[in-house]
Amino acid sequence: MTDKNMRFLVVDDFSTMRRIVRNLLKELGYSNVEEAEDGQVALHKLKSTSFDFVVSDWNMPNMTGIELLKAVRGDATLKHLPFLMITAEAKKENIIEAAQAGASGYIVKPFTAATLDEKLAKIFQTLNK
Amino acid sequence: MSDFAGMEDLLQDFLTESSELLSDVDNKLVELEKRPEDKHLLNDIFRGFHTIKGGAGFLNVDALINLCHRTENLFDKLRNGQLKLTPELMDVILAATGVVRDMFGAMGQARQPAAADPSLLAQLDAALEGKAVAAAAPTPAPSPAPSQPAPAVAGSEPDWQLLHQAVTGQAPKASTSKPTAPPVPVAPAVPTQPAHPPLPAAEPVARAAAPAAKAPAASQQLATQETTIRIDTNRLDQVLNLSGEIGLTKNRLTTLRTDILSGKTDGATLKALDEAIGQLDLLVGDLQNAVMKTRMQPIGRLFQKYPRLARDLARQLGKDVELVISGEETELDKTMLEDLNDPLVHLVRNAVDHGVETIEDRIAIGKPAKSIVQLSATQVGDHILLEIIDDGKGMRPDVLRRKAVEKGLIDLETANSMDDKQALQLVFLPGFSTKDQISSVSGRGVGMDVVKTNIQKLNGRIDIQSVVGEGTRFSISLPLTLAILPVLVVRVCDQPFAVPLAMVREIIPIRPEHIQEVSGRATIVVRDEILSVRSLARLIGWEETQTPQFGVLMQAAENSFILAIDSFIGRDDVVIKPLQNIRPRGIAGATLSGDGSVVLVLDMESMLDDTQNSDHSAIKTTQFLEMLTHKA
Repeated sequence: MTDKNMRFLVVDDFSTMRRIVRNLLKELGYSNVEEAEDGQVALHKLKSTSFDFVVSDWNMPNMTGIELLKAVRGDATLKHLPFLMITAEAKKENIIEAAQAGASGYIVKPFTAATLDEKLAKIFQTLNK
Repeated sequence: MSDFAGMEDLLQDFLTESSELLSDVDNKLVELEKRPEDKHLLNDIFRGFHTIKGGAGFLNVDALINLCHRTENLFDKLRNGQLKLTPELMDVILAATGVVRDMFGAMGQARQPAAADPSLLAQLDAALEGKAVAAAAPTPAPSPAPSQPAPAVAGSEPDWQLLHQAVTGQAPKASTSKPTAPPVPVAPAVPTQPAHPPLPAAEPVARAAAPAAKAPAASQQLATQETTIRIDTNRLDQVLNLSGEIGLTKNRLTTLRTDILSGKTDGATLKALDEAIGQLDLLVGDLQNAVMKTRMQPIGRLFQKYPRLARDLARQLGKDVELVISGEETELDKTMLEDLNDPLVHLVRNAVDHGVETIEDRIAIGKPAKSIVQLSATQVGDHILLEIIDDGKGMRPDVLRRKAVEKGLIDLETANSMDDKQALQLVFLPGFSTKDQISSVSGRGVGMDVVKTNIQKLNGRIDIQSVVGEGTRFSISLPLTLAILPVLVVRVCDQPFAVPLAMVREIIPIRPEHIQEVSGRATIVVRDEILSVRSLARLIGWEETQTPQFGVLMQAAENSFILAIDSFIGRDDVVIKPLQNIRPRGIAGATLSGDGSVVLVLDMESMLDDTQNSDHSAIKTTQFLEMLTHKA
């Protein structure tokens, strides 16, 4: 069983999209959600408070999702944080790049709550192994 | 029926945010024309389309996804240097953003937008494949260099969806333990075939470019529907804080009330009461200010739409115009911002269309080929000053006079008696247009008279300055907000009335010996200006109870006049409450004075209208006042 109280950080520069992801998470029972509007803000939040899960868009100004991912994986205290990458790019290179950088999962827009749930479940599975 | 049932909230958010994003993209496109190699711009535009596409995906707006997908890919290739930006390509892209805006318009009415014109999509596809786009037909603009076909890119792409499924089937593992690339099975290469059928690349631009012209209309539609407001959370917190403190002060007052009612009226209690009321006064003032601030929006939100507008129009007219914007951060009340759009659009179009010369004309008289139109906003005291300045040919008073006479707007005698400054004001007359032919650009029935009326509705003023050969400057002066109106409270027949301070030029004493009769009407000469005297008592249909002692010099629409009153009480900042169910002519609303009595706020414009053409269907101010006095 996963802890429905786990703390999510949703990172996207488009507030509508943050709201969508937040709603989908809520639908799945996760209501402990914080938001950040780009990688920089996200990294700052991750370092100052503790989170259990990051859901991040790829394409953002200032600091992209992939840069954020690399920063997270390169940080001693954050490197084990599950990181789900959201993007509209369903391109092979992107997926490989995300995987190489250490993404825990990859989800392509648009997606439904069911798809999100599936991805989360897969990530939790790997974590609990 | 809504095509977005159950998603209305999301839709509204999406439209608000995406429209801003699109305006930003539009401006960056205009910038890009100047610096086509700028990687930052290319990146930002790419991201703009990408983000809109992403949001549209969740709303299932296929038409929008299809279009944005293509523009996004185009910018991906542009930023990677795989394609080169040509003026023709730019036209197609701008047409595409116009269509995106139209689609937002449809979505704003809760409709699924229709798919983009196939010829536009075909053009984008052609561009993506590196084919030169046909030269743009409708723009006789400075003919662009022959388009150089960009280095051809492989004209097709594999099916990413399939590929993705293949990859995500075994989703990349959380690689904390495995930092190297996990084996990613690649789908069996999808047979590469031309993604889209080859197309006749010759004709379509003309059609594609047409929707761009419609863009402003659609955006206006969108603007009027905007019912949400985005507020800086700091400002909201301030409101919250203040209301909390007011609550505390209220508690203090309640305690003091109990004390006083129980007979405790010693010095300390009264002093505490005094302090509490003083504090309340301060807090309420601060709260009013803070609430007002939540309605203030930077004017940049309006300005950002205009560079594109000016650019499109200039190209259409074969002119080279740069719109230079400054003071975007200046803040104005949100409702005013919306009402300002039409007048500003008109003035910007006007500057580009009538103000500046064609490239040939400019070169012939030794001006630089490119004309500059400046649009600026600044806060001057408690007013906002907006200026639209062009470096064009200026307005010629003699031409304006002649036109006005030709069109029968004024007679020759009036025309000849006008000085140059007054002649410039002729453009504000209804039915005045200096262009002999109505171009597709201006002449849509909206003239400068409407601009002036709209500005006046906002309690603003518009002035023109013009130097022949050097250019024209339109200055608009506006109050910061409409919610609080500075007024002059005057008294007539023992009843107080409030007059908007914006119209008041000065107050003069009225001496019987200064009054002169001119063709049966009372006038007073103030500094060589002959002004008619109108009694406020008579304007509202009352008998004068005493000879007016003072005159308020009022600046109304075209004419100034002196409003004769008994006495005046002073200036005040009031909040106008509209009158429910009745709309008496000449009354803008009511407000409460300090002693709790009702003060009517006069609407001079409609009051003057009423005396000029009497309308029996409307409730007369007289009757209304009688009703009011009977009640009281």
